[in-house]
Amino acid sequence: MDENTSTQVEGPRDPREGLEAVVALRRMLEALEAAQVENAVMEGWSWARIAEVLGVSKQAVHKKHAKRIRDRYPGEPPRRKGKGT
Amino acid sequence: MKLIRSTDKSRRCVEAAFEEARMLGHDSLGDEDLLLGVLRTDEGIGAEALSSLGVTLKDAREMSEEMLSDALSSIGISLEEIRRESGDAFDMRIPYNQRIPFSPRAKEVLVRARKEMRRLGDNYLGTEHVLLGIVLNKDGTAVRILVSMGVSPETLEDRLYHLRGRAAG
Repeated sequence: MDENTSTQVEGPRDPREGLEAVVALRRMLEALEAAQVENAVMEGWSWARIAEVLGVSKQAVHKKHAKRIRDRYPGEPPRRKGKGT
Repeated sequence: MKLIRSTDKSRRCVEAAFEEARMLGHDSLGDEDLLLGVLRTDEGIGAEALSSLGVTLKDAREMSEEMLSDALSSIGISLEEIRRESGDAFDMRIPYNQRIPFSPRAKEVLVRARKEMRRLGDNYLGTEHVLLGIVLNKDGTAVRILVSMGVSPETLEDRLYHLRGRAAG
């Protein structure tokens, strides 16, 4: 750990900083989920399998990500091993 | 009350603000996005004032991104590392099927902008009113971006009135 910051390990100093970290984290989480779902689809995972690991319904994960992923690969259907919807 | 009307001169800057928000991954439209919107549309007294003070779209965007990255660092998360780990698919942009709402702060800016318009006896809502609405919220993110670029709310306000005076004279 950096010597200079070791005295501040208890966390953000003021509430605004803490709350802003939550906002930043939420925005990053969305991007991270999108990236990981896309990676899984490109690896040939079915929506059902992705949904199961994420702990949500297959419909929910499909509704949230399918169109975006299709749009990112125009004319090139993501390579799929399973038959999942 | 409608926040923005089709006849408003600043309508395009609000549309541009939504595009900026979408691009930067802001899941609600912040007051800083309104600032970026004025810079992106580059029209009216508002844009002229910012440009005369050396505020550019590129710098303001970078500052907004830096603030997000700093906020994550404060809780021990490296955005760069996550970006690297996730590869190409990592994209902060908000997809087009997701609606971006006005944040309470952005709403307040536009309500104040309209009040400023009336106070000044203007019959159009221009980019200068939007910026006056922005600088009135000293606690806002837009003001922090401006200050970090060396422009105080007072300086911007003075410049706006100066340019208005010139336009009227």
